[in-house]
Amino acid sequence: MPTGTGFTNNGKFDYQEVLRDVARSMVRLKRPDRLLKLITRFIDRQFGLTHTSLLILDSKKKRYEFVNSKGTGRLPANLVKFDPDHALIQWFSDPKKKQAISREYLFLSDVKKMLSRAEFRLASNSKSEQLAGVQKAMQNLKVELAVPGYFKDTLVGVLMLGRRLNGRCFAKQEVTFFQTLAHDCSMAVKTSEYNQSLLEQNRELERRLEEIEGMRRKEQRTYYEIMRSLAEEVHAKEPYTFGHVSEVERLGLMTARELGMDTVGRAKDIISAALILHDVGKIGIPDGILCKPGRLDPDEWAIMKTHVEKGAKILEPLTDFKKVREIILAHHERFDGSGYPHGLKGDQIPIEARIVSVVDSFHAIVSTRCYREGRSIEVAFDELQNCAGSQFDPVVVEAFISVLKKELQKKGKDFVLHHL
Amino acid sequence: MKKLLIVDDEVEICEFLKSFFEDRDFKVATAVSGEDALRQVAVFQPHVVLLDIQMPGLDGLGALKKIRESYPKVKVIMVTAVETQDKIEEAMRLGADNYITKPLSLEYLEKDVQDKIDLLAKIA
Repeated sequence: MPTGTGFTNNGKFDYQEVLRDVARSMVRLKRPDRLLKLITRFIDRQFGLTHTSLLILDSKKKRYEFVNSKGTGRLPANLVKFDPDHALIQWFSDPKKKQAISREYLFLSDVKKMLSRAEFRLASNSKSEQLAGVQKAMQNLKVELAVPGYFKDTLVGVLMLGRRLNGRCFAKQEVTFFQTLAHDCSMAVKTSEYNQSLLEQNRELERRLEEIEGMRRKEQRTYYEIMRSLAEEVHAKEPYTFGHVSEVERLGLMTARELGMDTVGRAKDIISAALILHDVGKIGIPDGILCKPGRLDPDEWAIMKTHVEKGAKILEPLTDFKKVREIILAHHERFDGSGYPHGLKGDQIPIEARIVSVVDSFHAIVSTRCYREGRSIEVAFDELQNCAGSQFDPVVVEAFISVLKKELQKKGKDFVLHHL
Repeated sequence: MKKLLIVDDEVEICEFLKSFFEDRDFKVATAVSGEDALRQVAVFQPHVVLLDIQMPGLDGLGALKKIRESYPKVKVIMVTAVETQDKIEEAMRLGADNYITKPLSLEYLEKDVQDKIDLLAKIA
């Protein structure tokens, strides 16, 4: 921090005030390049130097580049770089190591003095070589004073200052001030780099998540397709006169629509899947029971009933379709609570399950099974109405009959039967 | 006297490098275009040319080709911000003696130019 509260340079400016400005700028400016430009321009204007240049570490390219240069003797943009093994960078790179002269800043005049000392001249050690390299670099760029800036222990930037146009030397307070600015520049660069890398990491994470989500959806889709063919298989085992899972799906969706339910997008997918897959658990029921001519004995019936739980179990990997499992599990529940497996009652049973129940029963009545001929639509309607309130939700029965009647009127009996 | 021609459409770069090499006892001329460079090669007869690639009009590669046709001995170092592999290969195929990308290390540039001078001296 600069010493001397209220210190002014011939009344020209107040360091404290300037520091406050810079600090405010740092908060305000998300882009550090603007702050760096501001600092370079500020020094150039206030101190009247041949040039004010800012060397900044590019972490990705692993080299130091001049990002800004101001003054009549300014350095051309994007021309000069310093690699990390450059003597000047090496010299400043270890701020902790004690050196013959302070690494906090470096005057060219001090470097010259150092090199002229006997110990340096005589010993051709690596340190004198390094210092000679520093001298050369400073002379090349006509730099009188170099001030490093660090973030933690990393050398992030070097403020390179040319001669003062009025020929005066730099005061101690001024050097301290340059150190503060060099430090601020480093902070700004690193903070922005950090923010940038966080942003990039976030973007990468989001991308990866999307990728995984995409793969997961694809897998689920595949699984769903397999389940669908399994369901077809189940139905194929029971030789229906007509009918097909797709038509059960169509009837169910029509009923849902008639009931004013949401039948687009995800809601439709859920109802469709439940209608298509409701009997998929029958895949685990022995053919002897599934296709037994005549009545099932109590043991057989108990096995038959397990198909709802088996179905729900099979669909477990379809995490997107948790709701579908609930529907399938409940499609043999009865409206009065006497169904299975849990004896749910009324609206405890998902509405979709109540629809599946009606459509499935209708389908069973009009279909020819192993043990009996299919009956007429009228008989089916009567039966549904008789069981409304006990087995079925009366509202669903009404909606189903109404929508099917409309269909019959519009397209004729044969059409409807053939499309069941 | 070592003679160096610096070709870059950015005057600031020309001036900076001119001053840099003059401090090292070079006689330096500058050019800001490919056409300008060809004239300077003929008149100034440099030992080494520092040649930028991206310039309006005749670009560095075009100038390089022409320099090679008439002045096979002059050493040409491409100094450019362009660092695509195909440009580098094309420059080498056209007979560039080196390819240095900007931003550059002044120490390396100095050494490379001096190497070319030494090479010419050896041949002579």
